[in-house]
Amino acid sequence: MTALFNRWLPGVTLLAWSVVLLSFYFTGRIASFLIPAFRLNVLLAGLGFLVMACCFLFLPAVANCCDEESCGHPLGRRKWGRLLTFSILLLPIVTAAICSPKNYGADTMMRKGINMDGAGLIARTSTPKMPPAQAAGDPTEPPLPTKDGSQPAAQAATPATPQNAQSAADQYLPKSKDGNIEVQVIDLLYAAQDSSMKADFEGKTVETIGQLMPDDANNGSGNRFKLMRMFMYCCAADAKPIAALVEAPEKPAAPEMSWVRVVGKVDFPVEGGRTIPVLRATKVTQTAPPEETMLY
Amino acid sequence: MSWFSFHFSDFALSFLGIIFEGIPFLLLGSLVSGAVEAFVPRESITRWLPKNYAAAIAVSALMGLVLPMCECASVVVIRRLIRKGLPLSCAITYMMGAPIVSPVVALSTYVAFRGQHPLEMTLLRLVIGFLIAVGVGMAVRDIPAANLLQPSMLDSLPGRRRTGLSMAVAGDDTAGMELEAPGVRQRLFQAVQSATADFLDVTFFFVVGAAIASTFNTAVNQNLLVPLATNPALSVVVMMALAFALALCSSTNAFIAVSFRMFPPSAKLAFLLFGPVFDTKLFFMYGAVFRRWFVLSLGIGLFIVIALICNHLGLILNN
Repeated sequence: MTALFNRWLPGVTLLAWSVVLLSFYFTGRIASFLIPAFRLNVLLAGLGFLVMACCFLFLPAVANCCDEESCGHPLGRRKWGRLLTFSILLLPIVTAAICSPKNYGADTMMRKGINMDGAGLIARTSTPKMPPAQAAGDPTEPPLPTKDGSQPAAQAATPATPQNAQSAADQYLPKSKDGNIEVQVIDLLYAAQDSSMKADFEGKTVETIGQLMPDDANNGSGNRFKLMRMFMYCCAADAKPIAALVEAPEKPAAPEMSWVRVVGKVDFPVEGGRTIPVLRATKVTQTAPPEETMLY
Repeated sequence: MSWFSFHFSDFALSFLGIIFEGIPFLLLGSLVSGAVEAFVPRESITRWLPKNYAAAIAVSALMGLVLPMCECASVVVIRRLIRKGLPLSCAITYMMGAPIVSPVVALSTYVAFRGQHPLEMTLLRLVIGFLIAVGVGMAVRDIPAANLLQPSMLDSLPGRRRTGLSMAVAGDDTAGMELEAPGVRQRLFQAVQSATADFLDVTFFFVVGAAIASTFNTAVNQNLLVPLATNPALSVVVMMALAFALALCSSTNAFIAVSFRMFPPSAKLAFLLFGPVFDTKLFFMYGAVFRRWFVLSLGIGLFIVIALICNHLGLILNN
């Protein structure tokens, strides 16, 4: 019994944790749970557990801390406590690892509260890098006037124009094979808050992907729906649903929460006192879920 | 929409998210703890502490700047440090301070609050976090260790300490004596053993806490909280209750706080201060080290103090 508690159960528990962590890392399932910055930690922890498990399982010495009078582990010296410890450590993680989906269901998304306003979100880590404001001719940041009211020389030499910004934007924005600008739902929400980003997208034909959810508010004609994505700050637990409105020529036939690809022109009307992005769709097609269901 | 609806698959997604984010840091804390056990002599733990009591507490509250640990890892580390002879009040001060007074937390807070007074928010978080840690350290100074620690922890102490910085070495004269010094290989294995024992022990409570937090995160209708945001005093309490229930990592919770746009800055500050020192998972993890009455008193005390501070600051911050 002593060997079971001091050698085999700790060893098997560590091994199970290692298998779960490493399998999620190497199969890519980890993408639904963590942002890239934290994924390497999972690999390292998985390897760490593997080494620790090997120490227990294959080295001749055994862990005997909990047999000693000085052991301070609260559950360590009681048999039921040890069994409970190992059950809690093994069963939930293994069951969750088997049952966990890649994304939340509609009901949970609604309970988390859908964010349709980019002002409360932090910048995406995967947002394409913008060129420096001066190179792009950012029209939103005019140079500060000097005391006598003249333009600073450096700024005056390279006047910023909306046309310069447009051409620069066309260079860095990713395109689909049909030549449409590829955007994410989060980009549209940011664009509604940022005049330079708005200029990049407004009136342009864009292509994006998301989950379809009916829109109950301001939808008299019945042809509007929400295009939803989960936006993850660090891990799946803190992911929040975000959505942009899509206005389609007719009500889409795809079922609720199915993944759809939307092609359309972006507009930024003011509704309810707020500037919101509306994608006036020309094409809505059901599609397979993306490799990474969560944005970050 | 009902206020509660449980879906196991969504629960599993949230649960694993917390586990995958937190476990590497728990493991790191356990490895540090194991290394301390195997390689750091007992007497050297207190050598670097200032002799002056207040200075020792202040230094402990700032230790997170040089030994940054998230809230989960710091619980594992202080267990070992207490056993190694770190004064209890200093250990508790470090446990309270490290999850907030750390470069990682400062940076994440500053980045998260870009455009929303990041410097003020970061400084307020660090300074108030430091003061709270010092306050807790001073408050437990005169409480006997026997009243604070779990009996199993107490039994494993090197000597019976009375209170605060006082260390009773009598009866512990055999602790540092070893007939034969263990080799590096033996010490390494001892470190792995200790790390594993600590990890398994504390992770038990972490798993329980993560399960409760995930249940709240996915099953409770969080839209019900939004109307409470308009009342400044109530919003502080609501955000602290959320911080407790969501059990987010201190290094990243600033990003969540900032997303609660409808809540005033004072409520967000309360979220940032309370969550790292007392949440669902910590409630259970503290229970592995401290007696229940102390854990409950600590939680209630922190809740009241932080609520009062943030409500008071709200008069300035929210205008």
